[in-house]
Amino acid sequence: MSTPSLTETAHGAERKERKSPPTVGGAESLPAKLLRSLLTQRVVLLGVLIVLVVVVFVIMGHGDYLTSPFDTDSMAAALINAVPLALLGFAELLVILSGRGGIDLSVGANVSLSGMLFGFAYGQWGWGFLPALLLTLLAGAVLGAVNGFLIANVGFPALIATLATFYAYKSLAVVINDQKPISGSEIQGLYDSTARSIELPVVGQYLPDFPIGLFLFLLPAMVIVWLLLARTTYGRRLYAVGTNDVAARWSAIDVRDTRFKAYVLSGLISGLVAVVTVGQFASARPDAGVSGNGMALPAITIAVLGGVAITGGIGRVAGVVLATLLVVWLNDGILKSFADNRGSQYQLLALGVVLVFAALLNGVATRRYGGSR
Amino acid sequence: MTTQMEDRSDADQPPATADAAPVRAKDRILPSPVTGQELVLVGVLVVLWAILGFATPAFLTAGSIQPLLGAVAPTALIGIGMTIIIVTGGIDVSVGGAIMVCAVITAKTVLVNHHLPWIAAIPIAMVVGGLLGLLNGLLIAYGRVHAIIITFGTANIFQWIGLQIFSSSTVNGIPNTLQWLGNGAAGRTAGVPHSFFITVVLAGIAWWYLRHTAGGRHFFAIGGDAVAARLAGVRVRRRVMLAYVITGLLVGLGATIIVSQGSNLGQNVGAGKELAVIAAVVIGGTSIMGGRGSVLGTVLGAILVQTVTSGVTQLSWPSQLSDLFVGVAIIVAVGADLVRERARRRR
Repeated sequence: MSTPSLTETAHGAERKERKSPPTVGGAESLPAKLLRSLLTQRVVLLGVLIVLVVVVFVIMGHGDYLTSPFDTDSMAAALINAVPLALLGFAELLVILSGRGGIDLSVGANVSLSGMLFGFAYGQWGWGFLPALLLTLLAGAVLGAVNGFLIANVGFPALIATLATFYAYKSLAVVINDQKPISGSEIQGLYDSTARSIELPVVGQYLPDFPIGLFLFLLPAMVIVWLLLARTTYGRRLYAVGTNDVAARWSAIDVRDTRFKAYVLSGLISGLVAVVTVGQFASARPDAGVSGNGMALPAITIAVLGGVAITGGIGRVAGVVLATLLVVWLNDGILKSFADNRGSQYQLLALGVVLVFAALLNGVATRRYGGSR
Repeated sequence: MTTQMEDRSDADQPPATADAAPVRAKDRILPSPVTGQELVLVGVLVVLWAILGFATPAFLTAGSIQPLLGAVAPTALIGIGMTIIIVTGGIDVSVGGAIMVCAVITAKTVLVNHHLPWIAAIPIAMVVGGLLGLLNGLLIAYGRVHAIIITFGTANIFQWIGLQIFSSSTVNGIPNTLQWLGNGAAGRTAGVPHSFFITVVLAGIAWWYLRHTAGGRHFFAIGGDAVAARLAGVRVRRRVMLAYVITGLLVGLGATIIVSQGSNLGQNVGAGKELAVIAAVVIGGTSIMGGRGSVLGTVLGAILVQTVTSGVTQLSWPSQLSDLFVGVAIIVAVGADLVRERARRRR
C-alpha cells in the first residue's frame, strides 16, 4: 500500500517523458486556463460541482419534482449530517497525509467505543458534561495511539493495523454494555443542547436556522486542523513525512513521532465525533459508528473526493470541507427526489460514481499537467 | 514494495539455465512449497481445536464441524482471488457489494422467478461476478488509480445494483435447487460439505498455478516491482485485470454457496465480508505490500477466523467477542510475519 498504484509505477517512465512543463504567464488562453484549474485544483472542481448540484435541485424543487422544497432552510438543516462526516474526513486527512499507505479503518469502531464510554460517564456515573467530554477525547486519543504505536513504531501496514483494531474496538463497544444502548434524561437533553437547529443572534432573522453542532464542534475543529496543518511546524513536518519519509528523516524530522501523532489526532477527533453522535441519536449506541457501511468508508471517501492523495503528502482542509458540503447536499437532494426509500439507495450510486469520477479525473490531471493539488 | 523482495528477488526470475541440474535449479528458483506462516497456522489450529474440544465436548462433533466448514467455504474461495489481487499489490474492498449482486441475482432472478436448474445458476452467478470484477480491473489497470479508491467507489455502486434488484424486500422461499452445495445431508459426502471440497480443490489448483506456471509467477513479479515486471515483458495491465476477474468469478461461486445455505436472503448479505476476506488473507501470511503470499495460508486463515467465531458461540460467550479475537489474531499473525521478515533481511 505504500507505493503509488502499480500501473502508475509501471508507466511512470513513459509519463515523465510525455509531460510537458506547464505553461506560465499569458501564453495560455482563458478556456485552457479554466480547464487547467478545474483539473488540477480540486477546490475549484468541487466548487463548480456544488453550484451545479444546488442549482439543479433548486430548479427541480421549483418544478415540483421534489417531495419537499430544496432551499436555504433545508440546506442549512442538512448540515447536521456534515458535522460527523467532515470531522472524520479531517481524521482521515491527517493519517492519509502521513504517508506510507496511511489510512484509518478503525474510526467508526472508535466512535462506537468512545461513545459508549461517554454514555457511561455522562448518563450513568453522573459526571458533568465537560469532564465526560474530556474523558471521551482522552479515550479516543488512547485508541488512536494504539494504531499509531502499531503503525509508526512496530511497522505494521496501516490498513492491517486499523483493520485489526476496527474488529477489536467494534467488539468491545458491543460487549461493554451487553449490546444495550445507554440513554437517560441527561443524554436526551444533549440532543437539545448540541444537535438542534438554532436561530443565530443578531443576524439570525435574515438567515436560516443552523444546527448548533456546526458551531460547537465543526467550525472550531476546522479552524484548529487548518491552523495545525498550515501554520505550525507539526503540519509542515507531516507533509514532509508523507511526501518522502526518507528525505524527512535526513532533514532531522522524527518520522515515527510525527506519524504516531497523526493517528493519535485521528483518534482524538473520533472521540469528538462520538460525543456528536451520542447527541444526534440522543443515546449512546454500541453500533453507532459501524452499523451499515460504518463511518470509516464514507470518511475515506470524503477525504479522497476532497483531493487527499492516498499516497500521502497532498491534501487540504478546504478540499475536505467542500467535499463534505457536496456530498451532504447531493444526498439531501437525492433523498427528496424519491417518495419512497429508494433515495437512500441512489445515494450509494451517487457516492460511488462521484468517487470513481474524481479518482479518474486525478489520473487525467496527472497525465496532462503532471499532478493535481 | 521493492524492499520486501530484495532478499528474494531471485525467486521471480524465469528458469534460465538448462544445463544446471533441473531439480536443484527448481529448488533454488521457487520458494518452499509451504511457508512458515502456514505451519504456524496449522499448529495454532490444532491447539485451538484441542482446547475447544476439551472446553465444550460439542465442538469436536459433526454437528459443529460441518457448519463450520460450510461457513469457511465462501470466505476462503473469495480469499483465493483476494490473495492474487493482494500479491499484485492491489486490494478489493468491493467484494461485499459484489457478493450481494451475485447472491440476489442467483436467488431472486434465477431461482425464484425463473426456476432455472443449478447447471444454469452457477455459471450465471460466475459470469455476473466476473463482469463486476472486469469493471474493477478495467478501472484500476487503465484508469491509473489506486485500487482501494476505485473499489471503495464500485462497492457503493454494487450495493446500489444489489438493492435495486432486492427492491426493498428479502428474498423468501428459495427452492433447494442448489442443495448439492448446501449444508444439508444432500450437500455432504463422507460428512464433509461439498462447498468445502470445492474450496480445497480450487485452492490446490490456484496453489499450482501461482507456483508452477509462468502466468502465476507474473503476479508475484508485478507485486514485487511493477516497472521491472513490465521491462521483463509481463503484460502488467492484462495480468492485473485478470486478478480482479478471477476474484469476480470466485465471488460468483461463493455467492451461490451462500444462497444454497438457506431458504431466505436478507439485504445484508455480503455486508462486511470484504473485511473478513482481507482478514483471512493477511492472517494467512500474504503481505499487503504485494509480492508475497499463499492461497493455502488464506484457506487456513479463513478456517482460523471461523473457528474463533464458532468457538466463542459454543463457549456461550457473547458472540460479538469473536471480533475482538479476530482483531488480535490479525495483529499476532502479521506481527509474527513482520518479525520473521526482519530477521530474514538481517541475515
